[in-house]
Amino acid sequence: MNIAIRIDDLNFAHPGGSVPALERVSLTISTGESVALLGPSGAGKTTLLALLDGRLQGWRGRVSVLGAPLDPDQPPPRASRPDTGFVFQEFALVERSTVLRNVLNGRLGRMAPLRALLGSPTPHDLDIARTALTDCGIADLAERRVDSLSGGQRQRVAIARCLAQEPRLILADEPVSNLDPTRAGEVLALLTGAAQARGATALFSSHQPDLARRFAQRIIGIRGGRIAFDVPASELNEDATAELYRAVEPIPGIGLRAVS
Amino acid sequence: MAFRGFGGFTTSGLIAAAILWSFATTDVELSRLMSAGPRIADFLGRMFPPDPTVMAEIKKGSAETLRIAILGTLGAVILSVPLGILASETMVSPAVFRPIRTLLAFIRAIPLILVAMLMVGAVGLGPLPGIIAVAFHATGMLAKFYAEAIDGVSRAPIAALESAGAGPLVRLRYAIWPQMAPVVARDTIFRFELNLRESLILGIVGAGGIGFYIQTYVRSFQYDKAASVTIAVVVMVIAIEAINVALRRRFA
Repeated sequence: MNIAIRIDDLNFAHPGGSVPALERVSLTISTGESVALLGPSGAGKTTLLALLDGRLQGWRGRVSVLGAPLDPDQPPPRASRPDTGFVFQEFALVERSTVLRNVLNGRLGRMAPLRALLGSPTPHDLDIARTALTDCGIADLAERRVDSLSGGQRQRVAIARCLAQEPRLILADEPVSNLDPTRAGEVLALLTGAAQARGATALFSSHQPDLARRFAQRIIGIRGGRIAFDVPASELNEDATAELYRAVEPIPGIGLRAVS
Repeated sequence: MAFRGFGGFTTSGLIAAAILWSFATTDVELSRLMSAGPRIADFLGRMFPPDPTVMAEIKKGSAETLRIAILGTLGAVILSVPLGILASETMVSPAVFRPIRTLLAFIRAIPLILVAMLMVGAVGLGPLPGIIAVAFHATGMLAKFYAEAIDGVSRAPIAALESAGAGPLVRLRYAIWPQMAPVVARDTIFRFELNLRESLILGIVGAGGIGFYIQTYVRSFQYDKAASVTIAVVVMVIAIEAINVALRRRFA
């Protein structure tokens, strides 16, 4: 299999929303690619990523992830969910649990249900969790509680949890929006590097063009729920970026929408 | 403080009417208070000095009340864990949590002393009906608190575990429980304190505990002994409250 994500004419509106969140989106991402979703706030980046993670229903079109078609009306089967890892924008960690416990939480979908419930990870699970911690440079924080960590450290825990899941596709929603530029570079290098080392496909969203260019092979611009451009990172030009971030102005007869 | 709800003219009128009605329609003869002075003095005089010879009864009664509160709380916790899960929006559908919440409201509406009287009728005198009554009565509140604790946690880690492929019970164990544990500890301690206070009077209906001795001594006009038992009750309540304040600080 060499196609990780295939999207055909995807349309989605949030329940009660008047403006479509995603409109006529079509794209294909190959296995092992590292792709950035670039666009302003509210462009539909988070919506697209959550949809690919199987957390949104009620869309129209055809979407397949890792070779399996998604059902527009119900969540994917639980067994397939560990294959897609997700790094949440606000980390989504259990604050009162330790770093190791949070990373082991990424293994829960891979464990036998009873073993998961009883909380007895196998040596194999522990080994994978510890490797993820080491890869993320936070092995020394394993026994610390998450509520005692800094933002950058939390981001690394969130990535380690995702890696412990052994995903074949890594989706990351603004994984560096809470970090200063130096930390942001380090974390993106870690994320894309770990994905590459594991042969996994990576799709991350960002609103910082320079970071997208440095860490992705390909950049998809998204604005007003539509794909504005889809180019190799080396071909990302200033004009397209400027157009992407141009203030959204009301256009007569169309309402709030970007011109593509 | 917000007294805005009482600001309306209609509300004030209703409250005034309720108070006037209460005075007018029951036999509240305030004049009887005037002549009660000497009798209250006599009553208090006979309570003093408290009779210290009832130490054995006090120990036995206090221990039984404490046991009723501890076992009653344990029973309530055991009942409240499943009922709390079934009453939470996070864990089950409205078709399940709505009827369960109604059931819990119904349980809360039945006074403890009434449950205790029914239980004495059902299982006979002694601490057992008291324990059952406390467990039943406390479940109405505790299960509601547990459900609120489940629904009060941050949703993001639950979504993260679901995305990782964890089932509902595993999510409860690893995403919800760590967040709700301090709330559960606090609520359970609070309910234990209430159970102890409320179970002090269970002896009056024959459901065990120290209340039995208060009733016996008052009925047989041994006010000095009743005074000793009352002092013991006050000491016990203050001690438990002090312990609870310390525990609550620890779980903050």
